[in-house]
Amino acid sequence: MGDTEIRDDLKYSAEHEWVRIEGDIAVIGITDHAQNALHEITFVEISEVGTVLKANDECGLVESMKASSDIFTPIAGEIIEVNTVLEDAPETINEDCYGAGWMFKIKPSNLEADLAALMDGAGYKAFIESE
Amino acid sequence: MNDRLERTQLYDWHKEHGDVIPFAGWEMPVRYTDIREEHMAVRDSVGVFDVSHMLRLWIEGPDSVNFLQTVTTNNVSKLDINGGQYSTCTNENGGIFDDLMLYRIGETEFIWVTNAANGAKIWAHLQKQAEAFDVKVTDRSKDVAMIAVQGPKALALLSKMSGRDMSEFDRFTCNPLTIVGYDTYLCRTGYTGEAGAEILVLNCPFTEDGKENAIGFWEELLSQGAEFDIKPCGLGARDSLRLEAGFVLYGHELNEETSPIEARIPYAVKFKVEPHYFGYDTVQNHKKEGVKKTRIGFALIDRGIPREEYPILFNGSKIGMTTSGGLSPILNKGIGMGYVPPDTVNDGDIIEIDIKGRHRRAEVTKWPFYDTEKYGETRTS
Repeated sequence: MGDTEIRDDLKYSAEHEWVRIEGDIAVIGITDHAQNALHEITFVEISEVGTVLKANDECGLVESMKASSDIFTPIAGEIIEVNTVLEDAPETINEDCYGAGWMFKIKPSNLEADLAALMDGAGYKAFIESE
Repeated sequence: MNDRLERTQLYDWHKEHGDVIPFAGWEMPVRYTDIREEHMAVRDSVGVFDVSHMLRLWIEGPDSVNFLQTVTTNNVSKLDINGGQYSTCTNENGGIFDDLMLYRIGETEFIWVTNAANGAKIWAHLQKQAEAFDVKVTDRSKDVAMIAVQGPKALALLSKMSGRDMSEFDRFTCNPLTIVGYDTYLCRTGYTGEAGAEILVLNCPFTEDGKENAIGFWEELLSQGAEFDIKPCGLGARDSLRLEAGFVLYGHELNEETSPIEARIPYAVKFKVEPHYFGYDTVQNHKKEGVKKTRIGFALIDRGIPREEYPILFNGSKIGMTTSGGLSPILNKGIGMGYVPPDTVNDGDIIEIDIKGRHRRAEVTKWPFYDTEKYGETRTS
């Protein structure tokens, strides 16, 4: 796991999700560490567009050949877009988890406080090494 | 922090080549490359699995047949020397302590192969029951390795390696056989639905020499199997293969509250045998009078992957729970098994699986889930 990619321009949750702020929108996906541990991702399902969530609410699931994992949103707000590419090509997460494999976009309702609860790249690196 | 987990004789090889995870108290490889790739190697050519985490007991003594007849549900006296049978070990209520393979290697000598997760329980049960018999139960798991070779090319590979035509050995038999200089028992069995063998490799204690012996045999399989596109396979593929074949797994389809009749493994059970096994009357009742629950298989129509302990619905009402589920690499859809009351659904009926609150349609189907003309031990093409 020494070659896990962690990007400095993202924020990270203890549930192994990443958050990227694009203007006033939060883009969310799962980390390289998470996709590597799950390996062969076979199915992704995210709650519908329009769903309003509190931080840490369950909002979907990821299936791999190994196991089923719930997805939680690290950012409160309304889902405004779900990555439809993942419907037919869930393996995109394995191939490009920080790019084409993003999972959903949130219009945040409590962004500053939610971001403050997340880790930066160095913090997340220390976190997965301690796990 | 992992020092309480057990390791097999092949651990060093797995650690170097695979993704090793904790499993039923053991550190075992879940995969080496991709679970689906390993799965398809077994359906299309041949794969090898280290299954040395399973419990291997030698049972010998003048009373061994009568002893085994009281603790297992198949007909032990009918077993020929070098024959094998699938069986279950039941409790007083006819529930299943464990399922097992029993091989007869001598007039009064047997090998009992059973699940890793049940090792301690079965060991204690057999030690206690053996007190009333002139019989000795010995755990030889720590000096015998066990390697499964499975797939449509498995027997060709083993014929080549042993210089013996594998068609000499019928399914379920267990014969001493020297394979490229290694002393083994060749058991013509498996847990994938494909042809092949589970090989007990003797002289593999947990010493440097013993481990070298186990790894040496494993590497010989891989190098001689290269022409058949052999792949080492982890426990991930082992589970997806057994699910696709519709085989039961202890802790999922089998437990102490489930009888072999409810589990629909009638071939593991015989009646009119003496002495009676634990739970004989209950099991016989289930056979004669019927059961309160029965195992079914299903394939998803909608997208989604079923897992264990999801509610099963029919006509809007909950009728049972799933016990296993996953993606079938052959069908490329979700498949699973579960329990429902008898006569509530038939093959072809549409049920729903409640996947974390989302109801997904599935069709009740027979197992194996694959097309048996194209895949599995009895394939025709």
